[in-house]
Amino acid sequence: MLKLKEVTTVIGGFAAIRNVSLEIEKGEFVALLGSNGAGKTTLFRTIAGVLKPANGSIEFKGLKINKLPPHKIVALGLSLCPEGRQLFPQLSVYKNLMLGAYTRRKDPKGVQQTLEQVYELFPILKERRNQPAGTFSGGQQQMLAIARALMSKPDMLLLDEPSMGLAPLVVQKIADAIKSISKEMGTTVFLSEQNANMALMITDRGYVLENGKLVLSGLSRELRNNDMVKKAYLGA
Amino acid sequence: MELFLQQIINGIMLGSTYAVVALGLTLVFGILHIPNFAHGHLYMLGGYVTFFLVTLYGFGFWTAMISSMVVLALVGMFVERVVYRPLRNQPHINSFISAIGALMFLETFVIVAWGPQGQRIPNPYPNPIEIMGIILTQQRLLVIIAAIVLIILLQLFLKKTTPGTTIEAVAQNREGAMLVGINVNRVSSMTFAIATATAAAAASLVAPIFMVSPSMGALLGMKAFIIVILGGLGSVPGAICGGYILGLIEALGGGYISADYKDVFAFGALILILAIKPTGLFGKEAG
Repeated sequence: MLKLKEVTTVIGGFAAIRNVSLEIEKGEFVALLGSNGAGKTTLFRTIAGVLKPANGSIEFKGLKINKLPPHKIVALGLSLCPEGRQLFPQLSVYKNLMLGAYTRRKDPKGVQQTLEQVYELFPILKERRNQPAGTFSGGQQQMLAIARALMSKPDMLLLDEPSMGLAPLVVQKIADAIKSISKEMGTTVFLSEQNANMALMITDRGYVLENGKLVLSGLSRELRNNDMVKKAYLGA
Repeated sequence: MELFLQQIINGIMLGSTYAVVALGLTLVFGILHIPNFAHGHLYMLGGYVTFFLVTLYGFGFWTAMISSMVVLALVGMFVERVVYRPLRNQPHINSFISAIGALMFLETFVIVAWGPQGQRIPNPYPNPIEIMGIILTQQRLLVIIAAIVLIILLQLFLKKTTPGTTIEAVAQNREGAMLVGINVNRVSSMTFAIATATAAAAASLVAPIFMVSPSMGALLGMKAFIIVILGGLGSVPGAICGGYILGLIEALGGGYISADYKDVFAFGALILILAIKPTGLFGKEAG
């Protein structure tokens, strides 16, 4: 479904990711591990079209997308739930969600269905649908960001560090929700995390990014037992 | 008492046009994050287009005004495309310089093409009417009503329609807007079209009362900045209230003290309000 070939992205003269190649099949649930500054966010922003790669190619569902603007990539069915959430703080929860469905604005019936689905996933959003997004706590904002990304009914969802800055109990809630997005909704999920423990518990397989390069990949249960991963990311 | 009411009406009339122009400026500020210095000059151009359509081509006042709005919407989109968009990812100072270039070009162009002297559009509704002892021409009343209708329509557009919501979304989080699939370039273009078209409407409405002249844009553009700063940068209710406040200050100050000083009152109020509340009346606290 998603195929990266030798992708390099340069930010301010510095190659933040270098020659990254990876492939994700339809329905897979894949983790991207890496410490702060490893290039996870750059990789995701490059896939979503916010940044343009200096080299290499990105294919989504067989189409080359590395030259497309972000709004066209969303319309193809690839949605990024970005780092820092990037919500519309003064707009209500409901308006945030409806903007998430912007690419489907000609299909109000389908949008309504998806809205019910995300309300079921995060009941708090339904309760507080008229509240401005900016008044939410960090955990609630993260739920809204994930829900907004789901409103476009993506075939593939990129989640950039959804656990960042959240309390362990909230992280557990978010992890459960992501799991059900993958398993019950059948969305292909690519999850970037510093919290390797959480990510490797729920995903099927994973990649490890270090200094902008992919250094390791394998099944999640194998990565959990890998000495290097243990040492660097699991604190064992 | 009559003088007071008369000045209040004048203030509301001035304020209505100020509010309309400031609204456009604040919307564009939300999108660009820099003030469009050429906004007042686009307003001036709108007045001229109406003037020529009425005097040279015999258009009726309302058809001329609506045509002028359409023409200026296109001009606004053109300005966004050639003056601002190429500098999108450059330091803001570049856009500032580009904007000043645009306003100088517009003002000089109008002076060369049509001369520096003021022109008057024949007043379509010159008859005076009397309300509660004060006398005003129908045109003045029309300015007030038309401006309020425009403000309400614009509010409904922003709050109730999807394209309107995309303007707010881009202003609040540009990257978030891209990631939900909004074409931010198209939203910028649309915002400029709306802002310049409403400025053209305001210029057309007051043209029969005051005059159109090449310098009308500079002063109004300056006042629109005051209003937008007064109300809080990027704030829509701020721009509306700020417009009326400035109109009333000018009219009352001008009426009771001296008309020569009306701009002194306007700019004095700016300094005073900013000294007391640096973020503006409706401004969000920084950070």
